[in-house]
Amino acid sequence: MASNPMQQFTVHKIGPEIKIAGIDLSFTNASLFMLISATAILLFLFLGSKDKKIIPNKIQLIAELFYTFVAKMISDTAGSKAKPYFPFIFSLFMFVLFCNMVGMLPYSFTVTSHIIVTLIMALFIFIAVTIIGFVKHGFKYLSIFVPSGVPSVLLPLITIIEIISYLSRPVSLSVRLFANMMAGHTMLKVFGGFVVSLGILGGWLPLSFSVALTGLEILVAFLQAYVFAILTCIYLNDALNLHH
Amino acid sequence: MKSFLGFLVALVATCTGSYAAEAGMPQLDPTYWASQAFWLILIFTILYISISKFYLPKIKDNLDNRENKIKEDLENASKFKKQSETKLEEYESILENAKKEVAKIMIESKKNLDNDIQSKKVLIEKEIESEIIKAQKEILDLKKNSISSIQNIAENIASKIIENLSGDKLNESSVKATVEDISKNNLGKYL
Repeated sequence: MASNPMQQFTVHKIGPEIKIAGIDLSFTNASLFMLISATAILLFLFLGSKDKKIIPNKIQLIAELFYTFVAKMISDTAGSKAKPYFPFIFSLFMFVLFCNMVGMLPYSFTVTSHIIVTLIMALFIFIAVTIIGFVKHGFKYLSIFVPSGVPSVLLPLITIIEIISYLSRPVSLSVRLFANMMAGHTMLKVFGGFVVSLGILGGWLPLSFSVALTGLEILVAFLQAYVFAILTCIYLNDALNLHH
Repeated sequence: MKSFLGFLVALVATCTGSYAAEAGMPQLDPTYWASQAFWLILIFTILYISISKFYLPKIKDNLDNRENKIKEDLENASKFKKQSETKLEEYESILENAKKEVAKIMIESKKNLDNDIQSKKVLIEKEIESEIIKAQKEILDLKKNSISSIQNIAENIASKIIENLSGDKLNESSVKATVEDISKNNLGKYL
């Protein structure tokens, strides 16, 4: 039994070492669980869109619910202009959600509890949104840093704050997801360790905590996927519809 | 309970202390960062392409189909509803017309019957009247005939009585004139 609550996050190689141009690109347990999540998503969507029934069966209903959920989220936050980005946000939401949920299974690995994974996704979103903003609005996109209706005395300060907040988007986006997942799984592990160390007499209290925490973590897993997707929508909205 | 909580706190302290002594967060170990980035990009790209090319259009088709079907069905339903409403109106108007016709026919037939009865009544009254007149005439005739036969009888009786009383045969015409005279004077008394 692993006693260190952080040990669940260690990445280890599976199979042979793959080195391309001196960089280690070996298949790891992280890669395995990414693959499992992606396969699960594809299987789910395959089963959900296989029978084109007018009255859907359960899995088709769930797939369609996901579709309408994400579609509504995008149209509510970013408007109709964001329609071309729907597949990306849908994939992103599903990937983060499935990675989080697969991470809730015992003995599994949580892909999204690694800062490098969330940071790459957040950086990609940040760079893509910035490029979209400049392509759609040219240099007028810089007006996002100059909010309207601010007294001219405060304007330099506000602009600096806006620039900092804009640049910190990828950090906040990635750290939010990573920290939530890591903290939740560490807590679960710590309480699980208590159950064992307190034994049959005292272990019931941490066990009940563990059960409650598992429920909470499933909620967090969904919520963080939702937050990740909706923040992406909001950033996209800033780039598509210049409000300032 | 208090001692139990104290024990718990002590346990947490020792556990976290021992954990802190071991290696920190594996997330900050850069050994497999490149690998994770590579596999993430590869797997997510494949996922994105297959979702956007295959599954989302399918689901969208499904949803659109359903929406169209529902819309169609609703349209059909409203069409049928309208049709049934017009049919109902038609039916009601037919019923109304039929009722009106019935009333008309009733009034007409009543009138016809009345006319018929009236004319028949008139006819029968006329007939009765003519019958009465005929009967009266007959009665009158009978009366007249009876008067002349009474006169004859009276003449015969009178001449017989006179013959038997006096033994003479009287002149028939004088007897007749006398009877006629008497009956003329007394006729009002009997008729």
